[in-house]
Amino acid sequence: MATSTKILALAVLAVLPLLMNASTCIGPQVTSNVYTTSEASMSISTVFVVEVAVKCNNGEKDLLLFADVNGHMVPATQSGTGKFQVSWSDEHKKLPAGTYGVRFFDEEGYNAVRKEKRSGTDGSAVTPIFTVNVKHSGTWTGPYVQTEFVATCVALLVWYMAYRSKSFLMS
Amino acid sequence: MKSLFLLVVAFVAVRSDNDDNAARLLASKSILNQFIVEGKELTVEYSIYNVGSSQAYNVELSDSSFPEEDFQRVSGSLNVKWDRLAVGANVSHAVILKPLRPGYANFTAAQVKYYPTEESQAVQVGYTTAPGEAGIVGLKDYERRFSPHIVDWATFAIMTLPSIGFPFLLWYRSKSKYDVKHKKN
Repeated sequence: MATSTKILALAVLAVLPLLMNASTCIGPQVTSNVYTTSEASMSISTVFVVEVAVKCNNGEKDLLLFADVNGHMVPATQSGTGKFQVSWSDEHKKLPAGTYGVRFFDEEGYNAVRKEKRSGTDGSAVTPIFTVNVKHSGTWTGPYVQTEFVATCVALLVWYMAYRSKSFLMS
Repeated sequence: MKSLFLLVVAFVAVRSDNDDNAARLLASKSILNQFIVEGKELTVEYSIYNVGSSQAYNVELSDSSFPEEDFQRVSGSLNVKWDRLAVGANVSHAVILKPLRPGYANFTAAQVKYYPTEESQAVQVGYTTAPGEAGIVGLKDYERRFSPHIVDWATFAIMTLPSIGFPFLLWYRSKSKYDVKHKKN
């Protein structure tokens, strides 16, 4: 009786990993669409939106993605099968022009990064499923000098040159 | 009397047990624009915060207040799902749209549906805050006020050229004649 229960327990243990939903993506093919705020008057904070469409070689449909955004992990929203979106925003000054690398993890990777962060490291040693590079060309806050100012300066310059030559002639 | 007191205590305990271990989501929707201009980007940001004591499952945010014929989608999706929201989680979602017509627009709330516990069968429906009514400025009016008007200034400069250039030419011609005479002497 005891041996049969032992055999049953062993059988269950052997089958268990197959029953668990591993939910990893092998060989992801990623197409990404990135948006960053271009004009400061259209948004009071700079917003980054990263949309990705992921196709896995192993046909994984229940993929859960997490993204590492500027140091902290956010869950990616799902907007359709294989379509995910990550968005974050911050003040214009805190998101200057440049390239931002966004690392995407599945559940295993997410748990690994959380464990690393709890033990003190910053979690950059964990390999992501894929990375998306976001190129931000800066948020335009207006021209350096207003054209009205330039026009006024030119007008004053012309007047000054005329005044100088006139006083030179009169002297 | 004592049994009545115990009954009341038991009732209160059961009632408070209902609200325990359930997720509660607070959601806000805000427009990040200083000006909403026809043909320029409109930035909408949603924030969802789990203030309950359990994870929220199958959180779905859907916004149907931007009809396709009035707002063109630039980036982001108006119907998104989160699988799970942990206790105390604060997530944000952004959508970029482009208004196609000027006028007044009423920005109403978006809908948030979620399951407060893992076993609950009934979906909980909530709404985000609504930004309210705002005006969409026409592109011409916005540019009249804010664009650098470079072409206008260049045209103005060309138009002032005759009234400044003509006397200058006269003076320069007579000056060069005088200089030549002076050199001859």
